[in-house]
Amino acid sequence: MHIMEGFLPWQWCVVWWLVAIPFLVLGIIELRSMMRKDREYLPLLGVCGAFIFILSALKLPSVTGSCSHPTGTGLSVMCFGAFITSVIGGIVLLFQALLLAHGGLSTLGANMVSMAIGGPLAGYAVYRLLKNTPVNIYVTVFLVTAVADLVTYVITSFELALAYPAQTGGVPASFTTFFAIFAVTQVPLAILEGCVLALVFKYIVALKPEIILKLNVFSEEQISRARRQDEAEPSAGGRS
Amino acid sequence: MIRRWRLELITAVAVLVFIAIFLIVSAGGNHEFTGSDDVGSQKIAELTGHPVESFKPLIPQYEPPSGEIESTLFALQASFGGVVLGFVFGYWLGQKKSLPGT
Repeated sequence: MHIMEGFLPWQWCVVWWLVAIPFLVLGIIELRSMMRKDREYLPLLGVCGAFIFILSALKLPSVTGSCSHPTGTGLSVMCFGAFITSVIGGIVLLFQALLLAHGGLSTLGANMVSMAIGGPLAGYAVYRLLKNTPVNIYVTVFLVTAVADLVTYVITSFELALAYPAQTGGVPASFTTFFAIFAVTQVPLAILEGCVLALVFKYIVALKPEIILKLNVFSEEQISRARRQDEAEPSAGGRS
Repeated sequence: MIRRWRLELITAVAVLVFIAIFLIVSAGGNHEFTGSDDVGSQKIAELTGHPVESFKPLIPQYEPPSGEIESTLFALQASFGGVVLGFVFGYWLGQKKSLPGT
């Protein structure tokens, strides 16, 4: 999902940086006030950040014969919201821009808008939609993660299409072209990432349910139902 | 039993299917498995009619001099995440064990 350094006209670099900056500022403010309130959140923040680090380092081969990487932002956006996620995602992207020549400083704004802001926001929307429904919490985690991953690439395609409209058909035609490259590659990765992060969420719930409750990610009833299902054979039926 | 390990099973199946797809795709034709970032860059070159090399960085940037160094840095990135992950889960496990009944 990185737009390489130099591949975006400077006007667009400025636009996307301007979009990204408010999120970063609000994220840093939120982070600071959260840290001052309660240090107990720090380990979970570490886990969420660690997953973005690990998953965005793994370039996986996909059906189209090219490689791409998952984003891992779904977990973070559910636990801490879009602003804090934009800061963590921004750190990963900065690391890759500075040391790996994946993306660059001028395109960092655009890359943050897609991976650290837009994708997570879409995931957050899914989360809010499903939060108070009887949908199993792991299914919710799966969907949030997969959507955050896929939408990241939708936004990248959109950014590229705006900067490089096709000669015939303009922005929509160009969007379709870029989307075809990224999205098809990404669908299997998004599904895989959704499964892995749902599994991780299961372990967090098993080890530290209080923190999920404290952050009000899911209700007590949803969590205890999920734990009952994990821990014992249900006597009859149960929701799947 | 199956219910208890349901998520693990689903994830394992997903990983296996993913590997199977990779094997099928790589057997059926000469794919290079380049990054989709590069494929995207080539598309930009195609659309604008300028060759890929003509896109110069706006801000000078460090580029890993070889694939080996690049893979080291990627491994560092992933292992940093892995260390944090292992530490936190171990910390939580220790907390849970020292506070029985929660």
